[in-house]
Amino acid sequence: MTASDPRDDILLVEAYCDGELDAAAALALERRLEAEPRLKAHQDRVMALKAAVAGASLREEAGADARQRILAAALGSGVHSRPGADGPANATARRTGGQRFSMRQLAAAVVAASVIASGTTAFIMGRAPPTSGIAAVIAGHQRALLAASPFDVASSDRHTVKPWFDAKLAISPKVPDLAAAGFQLAGGRVDIVGGKAVPVLVYKRREHLISVAAVPQSGARAAGTNEEHSSRDGFVTETWPGQGFAYTAVSDIPAAELEAFCDAWRTAAATQ
Amino acid sequence: MGYAANARVTPIRRQQVDDERQRQRFMEIVAPQLDDALGLARWLTGNRADAEDIVQEAAIRALRALHSFEGVNARAWVLAIVRNTALTWMTKNRTNLVILTDDMAPAGREERDGGADPEAAVIAKADAAMVRKGIAALPLKLREMIVLREIEHLSYQEIAQVTGVPVGTVMSRLSRAREKLAVVLCDDGAAAAGAGARLRIVEGKP
Repeated sequence: MTASDPRDDILLVEAYCDGELDAAAALALERRLEAEPRLKAHQDRVMALKAAVAGASLREEAGADARQRILAAALGSGVHSRPGADGPANATARRTGGQRFSMRQLAAAVVAASVIASGTTAFIMGRAPPTSGIAAVIAGHQRALLAASPFDVASSDRHTVKPWFDAKLAISPKVPDLAAAGFQLAGGRVDIVGGKAVPVLVYKRREHLISVAAVPQSGARAAGTNEEHSSRDGFVTETWPGQGFAYTAVSDIPAAELEAFCDAWRTAAATQ
Repeated sequence: MGYAANARVTPIRRQQVDDERQRQRFMEIVAPQLDDALGLARWLTGNRADAEDIVQEAAIRALRALHSFEGVNARAWVLAIVRNTALTWMTKNRTNLVILTDDMAPAGREERDGGADPEAAVIAKADAAMVRKGIAALPLKLREMIVLREIEHLSYQEIAQVTGVPVGTVMSRLSRAREKLAVVLCDDGAAAAGAGARLRIVEGKP
């Protein structure tokens, strides 16, 4: 029945269990799982094993003490110390008393570490509660800037980005192409605004990113949305009502440039 | 600031600014991974104190290597450093306990045809202690696959990045690790159920 190597079949089933197959390959395998008990049995075993490991809850928190010790040691070590001076063998000595730096330095490093950490948190959280409209959009934009990638789908092609939103959220905001106006479409992501998942378009202007969140509006609220400009923490925003959505653009580009962007966006969206 | 600072030699000041920037990047890139780093190190070495030493050492290495981080996947980058630090540390300090096996022969278990797999039922009932013991008993190169996939939840691609082997090798090692772990859990499950009742688990037996 199968011409394929049985060993490859096993790997394929495991990749399926690990969520590593794309939709087409997963579909093909699901058909084979129905037809071939040998594969189905292997799937059962792998899923059972995954469940057993997950059920054993083997993940552990580091604990505040350990975190602080590690941060203090790393930040106290200095960026420019001679590499290799800190051989692995020294690690134990450091922990058990042979400190290479004084307690004063350690205390200073811990204080510095916690100040930076809390500062970062405050920066991410913002001052306003992140669930309120514009603040949430700004928070999403800031978080995206910190993340490994500022978008979930990377594409300069609106015919890729728009269907992605359709499939992901079952809502379809306008995705105008503004390359001619100097704003390159970079991709899209999903942010949470007011407790709901909303589509966010990401455009690029030189090295700056512009996020456009499209918050779906019911009829009454749509009428209440006015055009609005604001700036907060160095980010400028512009909000405007559109068909079925309230749009909010956020960026760190100059306010005038963002206004030009929004004008171009509205013009392009109207003719789309 | 003011006169005094300006009057001083600027390179020192610049170095301080650079250091400060490095520290901030460290807090953004490395610090959030410490839980995962400790988890991995603990599973590789088998104990918490060693794991902490290793992560401490790895954090220092990461701080010095920050300039080489390409900004793509901080977790995989940090875990790769932790893993390499752990391997170096283990070969140096506890050579007798490190089993770096390249014996990658399949565990040799016959596939069985048939409906719902009876082994799956036994495996699913394995308790936390059995799972812990089973993972700890795996050879290092197989154990790290299970840990990175099932405990740290890395993708195949990320595991390949952390362990420095191709994705195909990740897949076959992971599969082998699962086979070995399944055998251990099955045997333990059967033992717990008593001889002669291999596939019928009796509840509540010590």
